[in-house]
Amino acid sequence: MPASIDFARLYDDHAQALFAFLLNLTRNEADTRDLLQELFVKLARRPDLLHDVREERGFLIRLAHNLAIDVMRRRGTREKNHEQLAAEMPNPFAPSTDPDEQAFRHALAKALAELPPEQRAVVHLKLWERWTFEQIAAALEIPPNTAASRYRYGLDKLRDLLRPLYEEIK
Amino acid sequence: MNPDDFEKQLERQPVRTVPADWRAGILRAARESSNPQTSTTNPQRTWWRELFWPCPQAWAGLAAAWVVILVMHFSSADRTESIAKTATPPSPQEIMVLKEQKQMLAKLIETFDQPAGEPPKPYVPRPKSECRMESVMV
Repeated sequence: MPASIDFARLYDDHAQALFAFLLNLTRNEADTRDLLQELFVKLARRPDLLHDVREERGFLIRLAHNLAIDVMRRRGTREKNHEQLAAEMPNPFAPSTDPDEQAFRHALAKALAELPPEQRAVVHLKLWERWTFEQIAAALEIPPNTAASRYRYGLDKLRDLLRPLYEEIK
Repeated sequence: MNPDDFEKQLERQPVRTVPADWRAGILRAARESSNPQTSTTNPQRTWWRELFWPCPQAWAGLAAAWVVILVMHFSSADRTESIAKTATPPSPQEIMVLKEQKQMLAKLIETFDQPAGEPPKPYVPRPKSECRMESVMV
């Protein structure tokens, strides 16, 4: 990658994935906006960070994850009930004209909010980025087995929470 | 419920798209951060930073030395001025005594300047035998 970064290209290629990941993780649209900007500002100040990066998306997701974790830690006890409030926060899924689909997406958003952030991050990358456990492990700097177990725990919990609705719309 | 079906059902849920109006603001912030000289910061501040940046400790040390020098200079000037202000002018008696001393000094200098009646004889060393005779006679 050259010394000067093509921010427009970088944004167009990755902003959508970063937005969905950050929104699912933080459950806060203002935080997501701030984090996305912070990430691009960080890259602008330290263009060397992108030197020798082979998997741009993976690297950016890792940066986004670290920034989001920092924000959530800073919020810490001040907003201890944030996870409970998260269910009422913006839905990370696109709205649907089908009422059943819309109800399922709303329930899915609420169920995801009940997962711990580390499980939610893995579930998001596996389901909506279609990443392998190796890719997830590399991005989140965890062993692949940990990524797989977090995914299984998260999915089991989602299944339990969404079973009634899923059976209904199936 | 079939696990595969459930996963596929979840995968099918489309995530929200990033708001279109975020792009311009985020890219502007990134560009301003990558080119700080084009941002709204004062150019004079950048100039000063460039001047002092190479070794700020040395500049700080030099400034501190100058401050010490100036403080010492002004404190000593104040002391001499205050001494001059507090000193009282000499009384008329003291002035008289000083005049008398001056006149006496002038007279003494005159007496030294006047030539003596007989010029002193040049010293001629005598033989050692004469010196011994004088000491014996005494």
